[in-house]
Amino acid sequence: MNDEELLDAFGGVRIDHDNAAYHRGLLERRLLINRCDSCAAWHHPPRSVCPRCWSRSITPTDVAGDGFLALITILRQGPPQPGVDYAAGHALVAVELDEQPGLRIAGTVVGAPAEQLRVGDRVRLLWRDLPGRLPRPDFEVVR
Amino acid sequence: MSATGTRGAARNPARDQVAIVGIGRSPYSRDRAGCTPGSLVLDACIAAARDAGLGATDIDGICGSMVAAQYVQAALGIPAVSWFANPQAVIGNQLVAAVAAVHSGMCDVALVYHHAYRLPWASRSAAQDPMRRRATLGVADARSWYGTGHVDTGPNSMFGANAYAAWAGRYLHDHGYTREALGRVALNSRTNAAANPNAVYREPLTMDAYLAGRMVRDPLSVYDMDIPVDAADAFIVTTTERARDLPRPPVLVHAATLGHTDYGSEEQLRDLDHAGQVVVTRKLWAKSELTLADVDVFFPYEGFSNIALAWFENVGYCGRGEGGAFVAQHWVEAEQRIVIDGRIPVNTHGGSLSEGGTQGAGHLYEACLQLRGEAGPRQVPGAEVALVTPGGYYFNSQGFLLRADR
Repeated sequence: MNDEELLDAFGGVRIDHDNAAYHRGLLERRLLINRCDSCAAWHHPPRSVCPRCWSRSITPTDVAGDGFLALITILRQGPPQPGVDYAAGHALVAVELDEQPGLRIAGTVVGAPAEQLRVGDRVRLLWRDLPGRLPRPDFEVVR
Repeated sequence: MSATGTRGAARNPARDQVAIVGIGRSPYSRDRAGCTPGSLVLDACIAAARDAGLGATDIDGICGSMVAAQYVQAALGIPAVSWFANPQAVIGNQLVAAVAAVHSGMCDVALVYHHAYRLPWASRSAAQDPMRRRATLGVADARSWYGTGHVDTGPNSMFGANAYAAWAGRYLHDHGYTREALGRVALNSRTNAAANPNAVYREPLTMDAYLAGRMVRDPLSVYDMDIPVDAADAFIVTTTERARDLPRPPVLVHAATLGHTDYGSEEQLRDLDHAGQVVVTRKLWAKSELTLADVDVFFPYEGFSNIALAWFENVGYCGRGEGGAFVAQHWVEAEQRIVIDGRIPVNTHGGSLSEGGTQGAGHLYEACLQLRGEAGPRQVPGAEVALVTPGGYYFNSQGFLLRADR
């Protein structure tokens, strides 16, 4: 997919050379997180250098998508978006990935009432196609 | 990171050398028609200059938040400035820059300002004003404005208010608090606002009413989030030497600092031990010989109620996670407000939760009133030192020790 096609696929999103690989990954149902070739540290959101060792040798790398809920809120109002039900309470979470302490991805959790979610709950990556919604990673609780 | 630095360990050549000599504002309002961000700022700037006894030709520096310095200069007919800047909001950035500019000689008299403007998506009444639909036309959104690399501000993003709610939930979870811990911050602000004619919400708030408040982003309800207002605050900053020749009692900037840590978006913040607030307070105390015992009035920003609890912890009143318990211990039930050690009131003006949300500019304005002895029925007797901590966890943590010139 060339750059023009990527921009078309993510209309209205500020796609740039630093985050293009992340978004290309989403289109292929891959969660690609920047990893340093020199020191193996992960970082997100994507940047052009490694924040630990300043290497410019960075490879967007697949993560397993397993982790735990580090942050949770329930949104009761906000801008309309496909798949978001404010009346029921929309779970917004930050998932801390197993790959590295503090490496977190924001998203939502499906399949469980938002009120039942607790910090520390184990979750895994889930890909959904929702009409009208841009590709993005979702999560589900592992019981 | 330790919460407090070594007393006097940091350089502070500007200590007490720069003063706030004028304050002005456009009164806070939830229903004002016909105003613009520019008109609000201009009203506040004119009031501040007049308060300082100065005119357009005396001002040679301009430093504001979102309204461009060049706009203000032209609109007020300020003939020449040798320094101007528009640092990222909120007010502490503008004040720190102005203090540095005055102390270094970039300018002699700096005009500092910040405004808040109700936008249609944040206020039902604002949505009635068709002009406001274009209030942000041509203005970059907050993501690009910060330049932090956010690509999503929607309901699946930990951006701004969403992230404050999520970290508030984490705070309650980690330390075993219920929402009453947040509620006391909101009640304190409301109680104090009753004595402030500039406050937009002055009717009493009970804990029962707080707990029944409409939930917006769990665990934060409408009472935990700042009130959208049309408002502006402005300050005139000059050398302390010159300040002593001007009509108003100078408010000395004893120590000032900003603080930030190495993360680029809210969900990546490691924990509250690594928030910008920790950097601020460590540096602030290191720049001063004052201690918490010297503070007469405290202004922790509470645009989201949980922010204030973290400030109590970070300035050193208590340890991490103890902010909720500290506020409960220093809660005066008969007065429905916080009075630390029976002596130090908190956010005497009603803060962003009841005076109105100006991202800490209102806190700074009230601190100046208190140190000038002009706070009327809210006056803290003999207030000589104010601790002002605008800003939240991310991107905008700031701290000031201000002193009366006595």
